[in-house]
Formats: sequence, structure tokens, C-alpha cells
Amino acid sequence: MEFELSEEQKDIQKAAEEFARGEFDPDLALELDQRGIFPETIWKKATRLGFIGIHYPEEVGGQGLSLLESILVMEAFCRRDSGIGSALSLVDLGSDLILKFGSRDQKEKFLPPIIQGEKQMTVAFGESEDEQDLSVLSTQAEKREEGYLVKGVKKYVLNLSRADMFVILCRESGEQWLPLIVEKDQDRMEIYPIEKMGLKMISSGDLHLQSVGVPYENRLGERGQEMDLFQYYHRVKSLRFLAQALGLMEGAFERALRYSTQREQFGRRLSQFQVIKHKLAEMQVGIEISRSLIYKAALEVERGELYPKALFISKIEVGRRMTGIVDEALQIFGGYGYMAEEEIERFYRDAWTIRTQLGTEEEMRDLLSERIVGKKNEP
Amino acid sequence: MFYEFDERQRAFREKVRQTYEKEVRPIVEEYEKKESFPVFLFRRLGEEHLLCLRCPKKYGGPGMDKISECISMEELNRICAGIGAGVMVHGGLGTDPILRFGSEGLKQTYLPPAVRGEKIGAFALTEPNAGSDASSLRTLAIKVEGRYRLNGSKTFITNGTICDFVTVAAYTHPEKRGTGINLFVVNREDQGFSVIKKLRKLGNHTADTAELAFDDCFVPKERMIGEQECGGLEQLEETLKSGRITYGARSTGVAQAAFETTLSYVREAKRRGNLLQKSQAIRFILAEMAMFIEVMRYTTYRGAWLFDQGMASMKDASIVKLFCTETLQKIVMKAIEIQKEAGLRTDNPIQRYFRDARLFKIPEGTSEIQHLVIARELGI
Ligand SMILES: Cc1cc2nc3c(=O)[nH]c(=O)nc-3n(C[C@H](O)[C@H](O)[C@H](O)COP(=O)(O)OP(=O)(O)OC[C@H]3O[C@@H](n4cnc5c(N)ncnc54)[C@H](O)[C@@H]3O)c2cc1C
Ligand SMILES: Cc1cc2nc3c(=O)[nH]c(=O)nc-3n(C[C@H](O)[C@H](O)[C@H](O)COP(=O)(O)OP(=O)(O)OC[C@H]3O[C@@H](n4cnc5c(N)ncnc54)[C@H](O)[C@@H]3O)c2cc1C
Repeated sequence: MEFELSEEQKDIQKAAEEFARGEFDPDLALELDQRGIFPETIWKKATRLGFIGIHYPEEVGGQGLSLLESILVMEAFCRRDSGIGSALSLVDLGSDLILKFGSRDQKEKFLPPIIQGEKQMTVAFGESEDEQDLSVLSTQAEKREEGYLVKGVKKYVLNLSRADMFVILCRESGEQWLPLIVEKDQDRMEIYPIEKMGLKMISSGDLHLQSVGVPYENRLGERGQEMDLFQYYHRVKSLRFLAQALGLMEGAFERALRYSTQREQFGRRLSQFQVIKHKLAEMQVGIEISRSLIYKAALEVERGELYPKALFISKIEVGRRMTGIVDEALQIFGGYGYMAEEEIERFYRDAWTIRTQLGTEEEMRDLLSERIVGKKNEP
Repeated sequence: MFYEFDERQRAFREKVRQTYEKEVRPIVEEYEKKESFPVFLFRRLGEEHLLCLRCPKKYGGPGMDKISECISMEELNRICAGIGAGVMVHGGLGTDPILRFGSEGLKQTYLPPAVRGEKIGAFALTEPNAGSDASSLRTLAIKVEGRYRLNGSKTFITNGTICDFVTVAAYTHPEKRGTGINLFVVNREDQGFSVIKKLRKLGNHTADTAELAFDDCFVPKERMIGEQECGGLEQLEETLKSGRITYGARSTGVAQAAFETTLSYVREAKRRGNLLQKSQAIRFILAEMAMFIEVMRYTTYRGAWLFDQGMASMKDASIVKLFCTETLQKIVMKAIEIQKEAGLRTDNPIQRYFRDARLFKIPEGTSEIQHLVIARELGI
């Protein structure tokens, strides 16, 4: 069993780290966060260098790599800056569904503009604060001669303001699920961004679809694949957020470590106090556990495993490790950590926003226990 | 022994709750957004006799006890921790040293207007390089011809930009490390005192936090608190003991607020078609929150009672602060987690409680410092 990144993977990691070091700036990040602005210029540069869509096939302009490589890039970005990193990690949410379920035409039409930094794509499935709740799905797709007419309200859509394309789950004639690729229609779509606590560079909010016309060929996947598509979306979305979580905890750790070796109280550096050293040690434990779990989860999802156990487990463990690490990191900064001028303050808000995207611990335990004792409690 | 609130205390809680609901609740969101303290509130609360609760009647104060102060602080923080911070510092660290150790002249000058909310107090100990280790202060107060000349800078000072006077810690005898410190009252209009900048924070947005500078700031010797040079840090110890118990009340108030919104959330929210409140895991979480809050409240008021009896040790006070501020974190974290995306919206107060609560592990002795204090008092 090999438990090492390949040379090529390490090179990708290094390239992404170098890019982030060169382009991400703490003052810029602070400003973008406070004003809720997407890092437009950095995104353009990142696409030019091929960091977006690294796992797309070469035919559409990608590099033909796997999900794991795309995760390495997101991790490196978020390590440098949780806000900018997350924003860049979410510009092509939904493209994974086209890669897996899309027709050849759909891939050729919708993916190249993402690679070239012309368009962004997102997913609009949820209709309540619980994106996974299918029971509330009521967005309708009516069949007309020229295509579907889509009506409904999607909630907490990520990258709402910036997205040019949406993968939307609706109900066809009030019954069957229907996943559609919907292009932005200024006249028949209204967006209502909400202000949120963290990840402020990437907008989120409600999408109102007022009889948006969608051609038949934008139907995504075959009939009968809807549940697979829904599940796959949650898996790859979780992976993306796990990668962000991993980068964020590494970034928080590095900042706390650096600060603890500089700050002195009682005539000693903070890093000389045993409890501070132990906090740093515990952060390492969390990072290593998370990294192993997440990379394993990426392989499971890539292989299309029916039951990606490491993925489910990492959603519990990585979520709480990350928030624990960022909390201790803030504590090491003392009063400074609470100030908006310190990066760790933003990391703290972003960490909890990312954690929310991973689902609650209770829900994950529901999922895991269903696998252990069965849905109807029959082993 | 303290077991339950008596009738008078219950009536007082009812009164302050009504007052804060009426006077504070409606303005919270506006001022949180503006990230500024609603200064007019000081006079309003002064009219209601809700400032400097322990200040004796002799100086115009309500002359109440620590338990009453905690009741008031719990209720105010239940509505807004940022506003709670400003009111707490004003009636606590800002004026307490004057009340306990100041000359009659200082008391007559500063307490009555503070009680009425006409003059706002602040307290400045922390410096850029001296936080947990107060003995490493660099601010100096050197005696020059019957006056003291203050030089130095202070940071993270609550009420910093809005205060009319500030109680400042400085070395009168820098060669006596730790013991050569005194407290001085500096007026806003004193030459050489300036506000460098207001600081933006993760939470407690209504609380005003600033960096201050003293640049050849002369104050008359009568404005030193206490008769003799040296011993200021010991005076502070006494004030901090009271302040740490107040943190128990603040934590209980924020926890109560977080609990109330979570309870109403789970009553209405559904997951996969089922009411969230039917989930066993969620029921356990709410039961635990209720249990923790019960224990926090008990611990806080026991501490306050001991304080009123003159029996509270620093260990008692540190236990109150450490237990309550840390337990509060567990409550707000779980509360925000189960509300999922809804919990992150800035129009949902739960994220404010969450951001506000995070502060409490830092001021008036970080959690690590509380551990060290308790261990020291254990005699090890
Ligand atoms: C918090 C959370 C996190 C999750 N994370 C992941 C994850 O990381 N990876 C992952 O793979 N899954 C994830 N899931 C999804 C989970 O594994 C289930 O697949 C999903 O919740 C559906 O399960 P269910 O039992 O609710 O669906 P069901 O009870 O099977 O279906 C829900 C409803 O949808 C209807 N329905 C189902 N299929 C169709 C259809 N084709 N057309 C019309 N109606 C249909 C059903 O009749 C039913 O009314 C997550 C779920 C939750 C709640
Ligand atoms: C919003 C806000 C309002 C405030 N208001 C006021 C105010 O009104 N007036 C005022 O004077 N101050 C105020 N403070 C300052 C506050 O009291 C200090 O921030 C606090 O005492 C910690 O000091 P520091 O920030 O310098 O952290 P540091 O002392 O630098 O501590 C950094 C980290 O090291 C740890 N540490 C320090 N020493 C040790 C040790 N010996 N062993 C193990 N760990 C250790 C700490 O616990 C912390 O985790 C405020 C702070 C904030 C954030």
C-alpha cells in the first residue's frame, strides 16, 4: 500500500502554494471580506494557470487529473487564505455533475468557458437551510414544446451573484426529479443574496426562477440516475469543503505557531509554555488525522464507492477538528485574535461557515448508523 | 447558603428584564451594524438606577449587592453582550477602584456623575506588549512637582473612544517590577491624552474598543487612587475578583439567549419531513444546554453570594469565570451548528451570540490564566 503523494502531485501542490503566496494578500483579503467582493483578478489568473478544472479531461481543456489533485489545489489555496481560497474552490461547483453525468455536447458547451475563466457555475438544489432535504423539493419544470419552463425558489445557493450557470433540481410535472443545466436569465431570474457570518467573498442566497425557459438538451443525466446524481453532488461538494477545511486548519496552525514563537509574556515566548506547546501538538494531531481521512475519501469518491465510509467519517471528524484548531489558534493570539485586523479572526468565521456545509454531526451519525444497523433498524 | 433568589431579587430581575427589553432590545441591531455604542443609553440607564449598582447611596448610587449586579448583567447580556460590555466596564473596572480605594475627593467627583450616566468610565491596563503579564507594563507615571506625568500606550480599551474618564495603570516605580504600579484617573480633556484608533472585532460590535495614548499627560497627584505610591496591582486584584464573577453572569445571559433561540428553532424546523424536536439527538442537545445553564447560573450566584459575604477567594472567582465562559462556548457552538445555513445569516441573532461569546475566554484573565490562578491557589 502506497501512502504518499506522487512526485507529480507534490509538484501541483507546490505550484498552487507558490501561486497563492504570490497573489493572495492579507490586506486585500480583509477588504474583500469586509465588502463581500469576489476576488475577480486572482480568479482570472488562476484560470490562466490552469488551477481551475485541473481534473477535467483534456478534451475540454482540463489537465485530465483526478479529484485528489483538485483537492490539493484547494487545500493549498485555503492554507494561504481561507476566504480567497474558498471563493476559488467554489467557482465551478456543479461541473463535477456534468463531468460524470453530462453528454458529450454538454461537456463541450459548458466546461470550456469555466476553464477559460469566462464563466462560473453553481448548484441550486436546496429549498431550505438543509440542502439535503428532498422532502421539500417543489421547484417545477413544465414541459412545453420548445423546452421546460422552470418555476420555483432555491435557497442558500452558493456563489449566487457570480454564477452564470446553475445545475438545478426540479420536479417534472410535479413528480419525477429532473436535473437541469440552466443558464443565467437576467429577466426571469431574481437573486436575493443574504449576508452571512463567514466566507463573505462568495455570495449565498435565494434564487427565484420565474418561468425560466430551458431547452430539452439541458437535461442532465439519464432517467433513473437522479438519485445517483444527487448523491454524487453531495459527495463532491463535501470533498471540496473538506479540502478547504484542511487548508484552513493548516493555515490557522501555521499562523498560531509563528505568533507563539514571537510573542512574549512573563519574559518567555508563548511557545515555551507547556500548555501552548500542547495546543500546537494537538493541532498537528488534528491535521494529520484529517489529511489521511480526506485523501482517502477523495479516492473513494473517485472510485465511485457505494459507501464512502472515510468521507462520512471525515465530515464529522474534520469539521470538529477544524473548528477546534481555529479556536485554539485564536486563543493563542489572545486579544489580537479577536481583532478584525488579524487573519485568524476571518479564519474563525470562515471555519464555522465551512463546517456548516459539511452537515451536522448528528446527521452524519444518522447516515453512518443507517449503514451499521440499517435504515429500519434491522442489522 | 445561597439556594434560591428571594422575592426582592425576583422582582428586581423582572424589573431589569422589562427595562432592557424596552430600552435596549429595539436598538441592538442598528448599533451592531454601525459597530458603535448607543451612548445616550448611559443616561437612560442612569435614570433607571441601573448603572454602578454597588455604588453606595452616599454617592447617589443604588447601593445594591453583587447578586443584584449579576442579575442585571445576566439580563443585559441576554439581550446584547456588546452593550453589556460597555455598561459592565463603566460600573466595574472603570469605577470600582475609585469606590474601593479612592480618596473622598475622587469619590465625590467621579461617582455621582457616573451613577447618573453623565460621565462614562473606562479602564486601561492592557498594553500592546503587556496582556496576561500585567507586571510588564511600560506606561510610566513619574512624579514631577506635585503632578504625575504619564507616558505610554494602551490597547483593547473598552469605552475607549466614548469615555469621559479612564482609570489607568502605570508604573510610578518601574524599578519595582509588579509592585511599583499605581492607578490614576485621567480625564478625556487632559492634555496629552488621545484616542489613537477604534478597533474592529469578531464580535461585541456595539462595544467600543480602542487604542489610547498618553503623551506627557500631566495629572494632579490627587488623581492617583490610594494614598501611597506602589500597590496598584493589589488594588486591581480585588477589582478583578469582582469582574470575574460578573463574567459568570455575562456568560449565563448569552447562553440563555442562545438557548431560547435554539429552542424555538427546533420547535419549527424540519429535517426530511420530520420536526427537528422529535430527534432524540436534538432532545439530548437541548437537555444538556438546559443543564449547563442551570449549573452556570448556580455557580455564578454562589460566587456573587460569597462575594457579598466577603468570603470569595480569587479561586472562587476564577472558577466562576473559567467554568462559565468555557461552558458558554459549548452551548453557542452546538446552537449554531444545528441551525445549519440559517444559523449563519447575519439577521439571525444566533451568529451574534456565537461571535460575542468567543470573546469571553480572553479578557480579565484568559482561560489559561484562570487555570494558572486556580492551580496557584491550590498551593501547588
Ligand atoms: C446532512 C446530510 C448529509 C448528506 N451527505 C451525503 C454525502 O456526503 N454523500 C452522499 O452520498 N449522500 C449524502 N446525503 C444523502 C443521503 O445519503 C441520502 O441519499 C439522502 O438524504 C436521501 O435519503 P432519504 O432517505 O432522505 O431519501 P429517500 O427517502 O429515498 O427520498 C426522499 C424523498 O425523495 C423522493 N425521491 C427519491 N428519488 C426520487 C426521484 N428520482 N424522483 C422523485 N422523487 C424521488 C422519495 O420518494 C422521498 O419522498 C446526505 C444527507 C443528509 C441529510
Ligand atoms: C474586546 C476586548 C476588550 C478588552 N477590554 C479591555 C479593557 O477595557 N481594559 C483593559 O485593560 N484590557 C482590555 N482587554 C484586554 C484583555 O484583558 C487582554 O487581551 C487579555 O488580558 C490577554 O492579553 P493579550 O491579549 O495580550 O494576550 P497574551 O497575554 O499575549 O496571551 C496570548 C496567549 O498566551 C496565553 N498565555 C499567556 N501567558 C501564559 C502563561 N504563562 N502560560 C500559558 N499560557 C499563557 C494566553 O492565555 C493567550 O492564550 C480587552 C480585550 C478584548 C479582546
